Amino acid sequence: MRLVLAFLLAASLYADGGKVLFQRKAGAFNITLFAAESPVRVGKPDLSVMVQSSSDQSPVLDASVQLRLVRHDANAITDITAPAKHEQATNKLLYASTLDLNTPGRYRAEISVQTKKESALVTGDLDILPPEPPLLAHWPYFIALPIVVLLFVLNQRLKQKRRAVNPQ
Amino acid sequence: MDSTVAAAFASWPLDGRVIAILLLSAFIYIRGWLKGRQLLRDPNDGMRLLSFLLSLLVLFLATESPLDAFDSLFLSAHMAQHLLLIMIAPPLLLLSHPLLPMLRGLPKRFVKEGLAPFLSWPPLKNFFGWLTSPMPAWFAFAASTVAWHVPFMYELALSSPMWHGLQHAFFFWSGVLFWWPVIRPGPSKPKWPKWVAIPYLLLADILNTAISVVFVFSSKLLYPSYNTVRATHFGAMEDQSLAGLLMWVPGSVVYLVPAFILVMGLFTSSRMQTVTAPRRVCKAVRTGSSIWWKRSPALRRLAQTAMLLVSIIVVVDGFRGTQVSALNLAGTLPWIHWRALSMLALLAVGNLFCMACPFMFVRDAVRRVVSPSLRWPHALRNKWLSAAIIALYFWVYEAFSLWDSPWLTAWLISGYFMGAVLIDSLFRGASFCKYVCPVGQYHFVVSLMSPREIAIRDKGTCRSCQTYDCLRGNEKARGCELYLFQPKKVGNLDCTFCLDCVKACPHDNVGLLPATPAKTLLTDAYRSSIGRLSKRTDLVALALLLVFGAFVNAAGMVAPVMMWEHRWHARLGPHAMPYVVGAFVVIGAVILPFFVYQCCAAINGRRQVASRLALSLVPLGVGMWAAHLAFHAASAWTTAPVTWLEILLLEAGLCVTLYTAWRISEGVVLKQFLPWAAVSCLLFSAGIWIFFQPMQMRGMMH
Repeated sequence: MRLVLAFLLAASLYADGGKVLFQRKAGAFNITLFAAESPVRVGKPDLSVMVQSSSDQSPVLDASVQLRLVRHDANAITDITAPAKHEQATNKLLYASTLDLNTPGRYRAEISVQTKKESALVTGDLDILPPEPPLLAHWPYFIALPIVVLLFVLNQRLKQKRRAVNPQ
Repeated sequence: MDSTVAAAFASWPLDGRVIAILLLSAFIYIRGWLKGRQLLRDPNDGMRLLSFLLSLLVLFLATESPLDAFDSLFLSAHMAQHLLLIMIAPPLLLLSHPLLPMLRGLPKRFVKEGLAPFLSWPPLKNFFGWLTSPMPAWFAFAASTVAWHVPFMYELALSSPMWHGLQHAFFFWSGVLFWWPVIRPGPSKPKWPKWVAIPYLLLADILNTAISVVFVFSSKLLYPSYNTVRATHFGAMEDQSLAGLLMWVPGSVVYLVPAFILVMGLFTSSRMQTVTAPRRVCKAVRTGSSIWWKRSPALRRLAQTAMLLVSIIVVVDGFRGTQVSALNLAGTLPWIHWRALSMLALLAVGNLFCMACPFMFVRDAVRRVVSPSLRWPHALRNKWLSAAIIALYFWVYEAFSLWDSPWLTAWLISGYFMGAVLIDSLFRGASFCKYVCPVGQYHFVVSLMSPREIAIRDKGTCRSCQTYDCLRGNEKARGCELYLFQPKKVGNLDCTFCLDCVKACPHDNVGLLPATPAKTLLTDAYRSSIGRLSKRTDLVALALLLVFGAFVNAAGMVAPVMMWEHRWHARLGPHAMPYVVGAFVVIGAVILPFFVYQCCAAINGRRQVASRLALSLVPLGVGMWAAHLAFHAASAWTTAPVTWLEILLLEAGLCVTLYTAWRISEGVVLKQFLPWAAVSCLLFSAGIWIFFQPMQMRGMMH
């Protein structure tokens, strides 16, 4: 059961990069933020970070990475922080994080990277759009239904035709 | 190994949907291949099977391996992935001559009723024949290859998993089309000569070389997305050139080697005509054998013992453990895992829970001491009592948050044991299972959608049988305690899968056999111990209660309904919540289906027709239960949304419901089919609305 579920649910986790949202150089690192799907929307966007050594572009795999999203509003401040880890990423060169974003708007994304020797902090803007209407977001699953109905109608007509031609 | 390389090799995306499709394809092909082998033994059989499995392996490597994980970082990885999808998987698939084995592997009835009208439809046959002829196949392939390499299209695929999936599907299927005229898989008989494939392949190589040259020699980065990440001493331009080289060299080899083989074949064809004739194999095949069940009489006892032990642990934890439901076995096992597992078993096999029922284990032990002498009262020999208990359960579950109280859950299970023992100590047969047990009734109704049933193999054997051991029993096993006489038994209703009849049959004529889900709803034949469905108002009421109850039960957990309940609670007073919940359950699961049934029956004209059509809603109800339980089981393992799975399950239920109603109404569209189709579409819409609402994560820590 657990295996079946794990297989089926793996489908909802990408974290293998995707579209580059921004790339910054800070100290000894080149830091890139990816989103599995672009544009990024309210919900649980799949964000991943790649950390490379700025000297030779080799991936840095032993860093501690934090992803923080801050949004200032007239009425409230939204501040979400989550660690980004290899375990959550499909591509194990990346650090992935799943944040729960409830409000759309422009966020300031802060990525802090720390290794035993170095640390760095980069920031960039991130536009989070409102969620897609649920019917639109899941349209590929709904399209199956009219297709099945159409095929059934066609199937019945073909059978009728066949019976008319060959009554036996 | 270098840590970077190790990390790269550990990056397997493993999309469950793709893996499920690949496994299902392998299952269907192997099933058809085995059937084909029993009829006709071809010396190439083994190679074809190997070729099919290799094509699936290549598809798996292309879409689920580190190649896929790195395709958004490196164009060369993406190119390698595309080469596998276009040049390796399709020819391997076609070399396995998949059409006949796949058709043989699918259920016979589905092929005959569902696919055959399409396969024998002349316009479709002509279109397919035209599409797989060299000119259209080549141009379709060329158009797909060129279009998806245009920077705008490629960037679009990189920006969205959906477009990316579409790109891969186009590459694979245009690859299948392209290789069709070259390999010419059976059973089609090509009209063009073999030599046509030689210029066909050479032209494809020219196109491939032209695109590769652009990648290798372009001074501009064609896809800016690949500019961001650079590996050690390996810039985006080098990556682009490597991708071009991959397309050029291995790509050319893939086109030129078959062209060379074809040329050689043309020269030597006269000497290669020694064909080994396929050997006919006449071998009696026995399907659905029950032998392993017969040889394992202890199997049921083992399953029951295991379930009994689990029940005892759950009860003890419920009484003595922490009362935080998410941390208590009584809060998680029965309400989340067991319900989902039993649904999975019902949809994959049949009523396995009743087979392993722990209550019956205890009852049987008690019956060794106390033997029952009474007969179940005539007035109660129907489903009204169990329907009332189920309606009561819906109310108690919501009003007193059974799922959130390990203590109440433990009492419920204990009460169940006591009830089963008490009733079956007094009354003969399996009175508790047949007339009282609400869990059993739920399983009976859901098992109408099961792919297996206990049934007879050969009617003739039963006609000549004089013993009726399946009903009366013998020294080997007791007969059916639910009074189901096998020759007259139709479907899974009232069958607890106890296998007593299988063991008792002296002719080995009863077994666990394949069945088409929901098929038994299509007929109104007399059923042993049940009668005709059209005359069983109690059974229709039970089914409607479970169908509407599925929606009420799920709706009771979504935010808008809970807020509505709380608003009424605040208005009516501090102790009003159970009444508010009760009103919601009664209106949704009792009054509404009653009203719907009456309205539809008035339109249908005849009550018996309405009763049969009402039962066609069962698949939709099962779809809703399955979606709801899948949601809870999934939320135990992950926070990722599974709305897509819920939608698919409900859609499957709706399709089967519409089909069943269509068949029952026998073409009387306006008066019979449409009212029930409208009801099922409204219920489907309600289900979709429920899925899109925030839902309470019951029994979970997150």
